[in-house]
Amino acid sequence: MNKTMQQGKTRLNRLLKNRQGTSCELIEVLQDVQEEYNYLPEEVLRVVSDRLTVPLIEVFRVANFYKAFTLKPRGRHLLTVCLGTACHVRGAPKFLDEVLGQLKVVPGETTEDGEFTVETVNCLGACALGPVVVLDGKYYDHMTTQKLRVLIQQTRSKPSQSKKK
Amino acid sequence: MNKLNSADKLKKISEIEKNKNQKFIKLVTLCSGTGCTASGCQAVLVALKKELKKEKLSQKVKVRTTGCHGFCEQGPLMVIEPGNIFYCHIRPQDVPEIVLQTLVKGKTIDRLFYTDPATGNKITSERNIPFYKAQDRVLLSQNKLVDPTDINDYIAIGGYSALIKVLSSIKPEAVIEEIRKSGLRGRGGAGFPTGKKWEYCLRATGSPKYVICNADEGDPGAYMDRSVLEGNPHAVIEGMLIGAYAIGAERGYIYVRNEYPLAVQHSKIAVKQARELGLLGKNILGTKFAFDIKIARGGGAFICGESSALMASLEGKVGEPRPKDIHTTEKGFMGYPTNLNNVETWANVPSIINKGASWFAKKGTEHSKGTKIFALTGKVRNTGLVEVPMGISLREIIFGIGGGPSDGKKIKAVQTGGPSGGCLPEKMFDLPVDFEALTEAGSMMGSGSMVVMDEATCMVDMAKYFLKFLIDESCGKCVPCRVGLSRMQEIINDITEGRGTQDKLNLLKETSETVTLASLCALGKTAPNPVLSTIKYFYSEYEAHIKEKRCPAGVCRELIHYSILKDKCTGCMACLKGCPHTAIVKEGRICKILDDKCHKCGICKEVCKFSAVKLS
Amino acid sequence: MLEYVTLTIDGAGVRAARGSSVLDAALDYGICIPHLCHMRGITPFGVCRLCIVELIKDGRSKVTTSCTLEVEEGMVIQAHTEKILKARKNIAEMLVAEAPNSRAIQDIAVKCGVKNVRYPFRRKDCVLCGRCVRVCSEIWQSKSLGFVGRGNHRHVSLPFDKRPEFCKRCNYCIDVCLMTIPPCPGPMKKGNEALCALCESQLSMSEKIQDSCVDCRLGEGFGCVRKDRSLIRV
Repeated sequence: MNKTMQQGKTRLNRLLKNRQGTSCELIEVLQDVQEEYNYLPEEVLRVVSDRLTVPLIEVFRVANFYKAFTLKPRGRHLLTVCLGTACHVRGAPKFLDEVLGQLKVVPGETTEDGEFTVETVNCLGACALGPVVVLDGKYYDHMTTQKLRVLIQQTRSKPSQSKKK
Repeated sequence: MNKLNSADKLKKISEIEKNKNQKFIKLVTLCSGTGCTASGCQAVLVALKKELKKEKLSQKVKVRTTGCHGFCEQGPLMVIEPGNIFYCHIRPQDVPEIVLQTLVKGKTIDRLFYTDPATGNKITSERNIPFYKAQDRVLLSQNKLVDPTDINDYIAIGGYSALIKVLSSIKPEAVIEEIRKSGLRGRGGAGFPTGKKWEYCLRATGSPKYVICNADEGDPGAYMDRSVLEGNPHAVIEGMLIGAYAIGAERGYIYVRNEYPLAVQHSKIAVKQARELGLLGKNILGTKFAFDIKIARGGGAFICGESSALMASLEGKVGEPRPKDIHTTEKGFMGYPTNLNNVETWANVPSIINKGASWFAKKGTEHSKGTKIFALTGKVRNTGLVEVPMGISLREIIFGIGGGPSDGKKIKAVQTGGPSGGCLPEKMFDLPVDFEALTEAGSMMGSGSMVVMDEATCMVDMAKYFLKFLIDESCGKCVPCRVGLSRMQEIINDITEGRGTQDKLNLLKETSETVTLASLCALGKTAPNPVLSTIKYFYSEYEAHIKEKRCPAGVCRELIHYSILKDKCTGCMACLKGCPHTAIVKEGRICKILDDKCHKCGICKEVCKFSAVKLS
Repeated sequence: MLEYVTLTIDGAGVRAARGSSVLDAALDYGICIPHLCHMRGITPFGVCRLCIVELIKDGRSKVTTSCTLEVEEGMVIQAHTEKILKARKNIAEMLVAEAPNSRAIQDIAVKCGVKNVRYPFRRKDCVLCGRCVRVCSEIWQSKSLGFVGRGNHRHVSLPFDKRPEFCKRCNYCIDVCLMTIPPCPGPMKKGNEALCALCESQLSMSEKIQDSCVDCRLGEGFGCVRKDRSLIRV
């Protein structure tokens, strides 16, 4: 077993440590893996299938079904645009245009330089403050296209903070 | 912390809390729900703590951070007692003045008061604010009184006393009878009588039994459950305890949406604190009753709000609903009898036990009892959470509490019930808010989202929006939903893009009927509602799109055109700089929009200060 | 020892073993209820929704799939009411529009009375009936196949799109697939979306004439290129 695989197994062991190893825990385990690796690597999923005794196809199904999971690595910054009804009525579709124009990606994709992943969500529950955008976990309310443009530019020019690998 | 083994100990905690609070001369309640956090209340909190420390007031002034008060448009907001002083739109730089003038000198600051948009007057105290006054804030008022991360606050306002009452003096069947008498119906959308559901689960054979709290609030525009769970998690826990006792369940889950991190956090803290006090676990309050709760996070799927899909998700599987020929109260989670209820339903239980079924049944209509929390959003002045007795009219909510239109345009419609509901036109606003009345009209109560729309909203576009949402979230298992909805989307796209015909509209209606009749689960069955209700009540808009190839509200991109008025353009190039698709060029002294590059997003019109962009 | 119950389907008294489905009971008695995803020997799925029936109870009717509904003593089922027939026909129409070249689906559509297909044709090669997934999981116990993705992205897949070592290569998934019953050899050319006229509808009563067109009304709605009644050899 080479070094990276060994490291991988140790990280995974840590995540699975306090678990009972039942199939019920699959989604929780995958949530931990997503947080740890910033995506769901295939190799890790194969180990999870083995440890929790869940058929591999089931693990693959769950990984593909829920929006919280990605099978491809995410960019350094996660930009989520809320497309809930209240935000829609207040002009949220314009933000997707702004995002498309500025970052040249469609929702679900990551920019070529690996900086931004853009996603949409169908309601964040902050409806009175719409339109709402979340960047790296921080909520921005009463957004306008101008504010979004500035926010993207500011984030781009921030010095890179290394995420745990 | 010592475990409580008797009711007396609980009363003691309540007294200790009250005594602790005696030494404070002022109480500052700062709303820290997700909404106010987005508006910046955390910075206000930091500034407040810093300033209090500086002025050596930390021991004299109690600061309580609470969950959502519901008046989200006015945040960050605070209430100061004594005096019931209400300040809104607070920024960190206002804090020193608040501390010095109001807390120390007892003077109020005019500019921080709420201005009533109807009269233009400043309202000084919270209880006089029309938005709050017109409501009946049975549940929501508790949010202001408790710090959700401190169980003692909840106990101090009488929390867990309903549990004590039940464990010491009421038999399980009698508890169910009380809930049944109250007329409480599920607040998650379906409105199934709660007492009946509990009874089915009690009678079901199988062990262990489970109770589940459905906090997968996915309806866009709904955040009632978020606020209750974030701001008052113990009310939900107490409700679940009472329900578990009545049904004979030992284990419970609170399934929280992935997109509500604060609700997950607060529920976990609340469960932990309840466990430490012995209110969860074995031998609760010294009795044989044992019950514990686990918090589960969703994975990001609207369909997991459907009860059988939620249970599949709890089992670690994909959230695909199953046919309900056998109810989940008989065979639910892991095949065991399971009672699933919504957050708001559970939170209402302690009050019903404490104040009695007849107290609850006094409010509301004949078949829809009690109060309901609605999330009033959209093109209305006062947006936020409103708790009202069932039976109040839509007009009272939208114009009375909501304060009428926000943009100066005429209000055209209200959408209730989320994507499973329908759009009701202004002429129907005198309808009472009642399960049956709304369903008969072609919409439904749903979980409580109420989105107000004005003349600038295209109703065909709204139908398109909801269809897209449902297609996104459909699990895809059954043919009518998966294929039917996508065919409906094809037709609606045709209509909004200028290719609509009367035949296609008829096909849209027929397909809708099939989807409603034949779909496997409630998502599919109710999916055509937005389409059908808009066709019924806003037919003229569909006609305009089909016959005249025109969008009356000016929204549908293929049917509108942006151009720059030569006589108004000053050449400032704000539009050019703002256009994300580089569709504007400068020609001579003025700007021009290139039609082939224009995406019709409307950003140019937004940024132009000279009203030089024309929308036709 | 099998226990039997008596129920009523379309007014006819039907006797069925406890534990069997209403659909199986009906088919055994020759009551024709169209179905697609149903297959004996595997668990019912209830996703094609063609076998829907009305369950009449306490004066109310509930629409549910007969393949997932277990028989009960005294049950009253209506399988051919007007609203059921209308919905079934529409579902069959949708299926044909999704996969027009599948003979099995064409047959079902003809049985349901589909004459016109009003939706633009799509050329899907899978209607997600789940037969392959279920036989792999239940009969061959291999669990190599599964449904992956949500909504319109839902498709049958192998884990990570790679054939796992535990796939037994039994090819049963291919055997039970309704799309691999030799489809119309005629291709759907772009701009010329119509049936090729080489179909062999199972409604053909004639055993003597092979590969003949029975001139079914479905073809009319398709704009089937077959214009006359002459025989066409493949």
